[in-house]
Amino acid sequence: MNLTVVEGMQSEIFVPVTPDPVWTPLTKPLNTCKVAFITAGGIHRKSQAPFDTSGDYSYRSIPSAISTSELMVTHGGFDNSDINKDVNAMFPLDRLHELVKEGFIGSLAKEMYGFMGGGGNVDKFRSETGPEIAEKLKVQGVDIVLCTGGCGTCHRSATIVTRCCEEKGMSCCVIAALPPIAKQQGAPRITAPHVPIGSNAGEPNNKEMQTAILKDTLRFMAEEAEHYGMCKVLPYEYRHNV
Amino acid sequence: MSITTETVKSHLKDPAIFCCQRKKGLVIGPADLEDPDLFEDMMEAGLLTLSEEGLTIEQVLGAVLITDCDALSPILPTMVDTVKQPVAEEKKKTPEKAEEKSQSKITGEKEDKVLRTLVKRYYKVTDVVTGDITSFENGVVTIDRKLMEEALQADPIVKEIKIDVIKPEERHIHTDTIMDVCPVAAKVEGSLGEGITNVLEGAVFMLTGVDEDGTQVHEFGSSEGFLDERMAFGNPGCADEEDIIIRVEAVVQRLTGMERRGPYAAHKCEDVIIQAVRNVLRKTTDVPVREELCKDVKKYDKPRVVLVKEIMGQGAMHDNILCPTEPCGVPGGQKNVDLGNVPLMLSPNEVRDGGIHALTCIGPATKEMTRHYFREPLVEALAEDKELDLIGVIFVGSPQVNDEKAFVSERLGAWIETMDIEGAVVTTEGFGNNHIDFTSHIEQIGKRDIPVVGVSFCAYQGQLVVGNKYADAMIEINKDKEGFENEIAGCSEICPKDAARAVQMLKNKMMGVEIKPASRKWSQEVIDNNNRLLGL
Repeated sequence: MNLTVVEGMQSEIFVPVTPDPVWTPLTKPLNTCKVAFITAGGIHRKSQAPFDTSGDYSYRSIPSAISTSELMVTHGGFDNSDINKDVNAMFPLDRLHELVKEGFIGSLAKEMYGFMGGGGNVDKFRSETGPEIAEKLKVQGVDIVLCTGGCGTCHRSATIVTRCCEEKGMSCCVIAALPPIAKQQGAPRITAPHVPIGSNAGEPNNKEMQTAILKDTLRFMAEEAEHYGMCKVLPYEYRHNV
Repeated sequence: MSITTETVKSHLKDPAIFCCQRKKGLVIGPADLEDPDLFEDMMEAGLLTLSEEGLTIEQVLGAVLITDCDALSPILPTMVDTVKQPVAEEKKKTPEKAEEKSQSKITGEKEDKVLRTLVKRYYKVTDVVTGDITSFENGVVTIDRKLMEEALQADPIVKEIKIDVIKPEERHIHTDTIMDVCPVAAKVEGSLGEGITNVLEGAVFMLTGVDEDGTQVHEFGSSEGFLDERMAFGNPGCADEEDIIIRVEAVVQRLTGMERRGPYAAHKCEDVIIQAVRNVLRKTTDVPVREELCKDVKKYDKPRVVLVKEIMGQGAMHDNILCPTEPCGVPGGQKNVDLGNVPLMLSPNEVRDGGIHALTCIGPATKEMTRHYFREPLVEALAEDKELDLIGVIFVGSPQVNDEKAFVSERLGAWIETMDIEGAVVTTEGFGNNHIDFTSHIEQIGKRDIPVVGVSFCAYQGQLVVGNKYADAMIEINKDKEGFENEIAGCSEICPKDAARAVQMLKNKMMGVEIKPASRKWSQEVIDNNNRLLGL
């Protein structure tokens, strides 16, 4: 082989390294825990300003007492049709209320948070948005934080915010449609149902699947996740024929 | 591909063939004649038949054409006012392919083999107007106003269609988000990738879209705003500085802008209008201003390389139409989402002949629009490189499910293993989740000990979310100062300089020349320095 060469070229793109571990062990029984759900999947109240779909590090507060019919999605990174059908596919608020009623978990945080992690500004999420959300959840006495990402960079933003919460002393798990990203970005715990981007918390209008994903995730946190970085693949599969 | 005054001397006794259509009254000069070195390929492709009666170049130079004459047909004695210096016994040369082939067998050296030839004939557009009938005459494209009604019938999801014509000096006007830029190209002879394609030069279609509520459709961000500020004019996928833009504004059904059916419907409707223009372009009697000869060549003695292009495949706007009936068209094509996003091979010529209609996705700046594929800089650079044998272009969709990402990537790896290649370039549009499969494709190739170079927008906003040790030779295509998806259509797509760096980095890797590791943060300096090393 004889090819022209040019000495001295340098690779132009950095390949990421996984950050240091963060870890808050879960020490209380689930039925006494206060649980919060946050999402990077672009969920907000219909009355709130929509996210800037090209990248937005602001967040919206979502009262847990609100009806899911008052929620919507603004996200440009995936097919929105599943969330348009059922917002629980990304932000399973109705299922969480049922888990409280059932006694599976203790209570819900009064205020939860939605942000649009797509194309998220890493430094802003790490130094502003993440710490603010973590602080607000901590003040409410939250024990467990569950989080969904939407698209790829959403999983990155979701993991950054989740790590902030873990650092603040809450036990966190990313429910990931794209577990390789959550892992590389350093999520403390990961569960991974076989779901597409856009229905990260389970098939729309499939109450059983959504509930099972939440329950398995919480059980994994309480019973199996003994150390940082563990990932459990969940046996629920949904194919979205877009 | 006309002959130059310098080379004409060595071809005086070769057949005289007009490279383009010529009108009566012309004094024939070298620039009017096709380069005889190309005859063999053209004959093989069925584009050219030589005639016993045909004159040689020395017989026609300076003669006056007394009748209109088609491109690629021999000049006969009856067509010129006078035949200069007749040289009877050498007046034609029929390339002796069979004999050459047998000779190369004897010596054991294999000559390059032209697999297929495509001629793109470019027709200059001087104006575009609307009228009562669609036509293309004397450089003027007229678009029948009734087409807007007809286009609406193509899909009920589209509620409204408007067309207007934007001249280069009129671009400071509002535009909705730019969904696509699409050239007008019509098949005249042959199938996709071979034969003749007529192309409009100086005018392109631009599709924009909103839904019934006025929400910008189909994107991660939006390029709405003043048109002159919202497109990277001159980049491969964009309108050029001097292009007349034929804008098609679509309004789609409420809430379908971010669902797959909405954007697709808009593209379908636009194509009804483009097809009407293709139909008149196909039959034009205008004279082309230039011709581009594209060849798929098997270079036996050169290292085999492949280009892998990851395209989006996640529904919504994240979809592409492969191998449509007409270049850059919609009908007849297959959607990569429906095909399960599995890798597919196109020949370089099929790509250059409009084998991809992009439903275009991700951010405006980092997406590859239909025109991008029609003149893809990496396809051009690899196909034209004399040291490399580009065996084809693999398109692989990026699915929305993690398991499927692994599936398509592993299938790519298994296929690559059988190809006996010595190098590969992997590209992706967009950023984010698709980087999972993008880096996985790099790994699948790299772990088989095949040198591989990756090409992507990453910079600040799109920095890789995953990676592996094989991603050690990477080309950054960001053009935004801050490293963001800046919502300027086509800003951070692959441009010729990026392609040149990628090809060179691949050659370095194939030759075992060290590529220095990337710095820990995105740095424009590294890119500038690589450009400098290449004299770019």
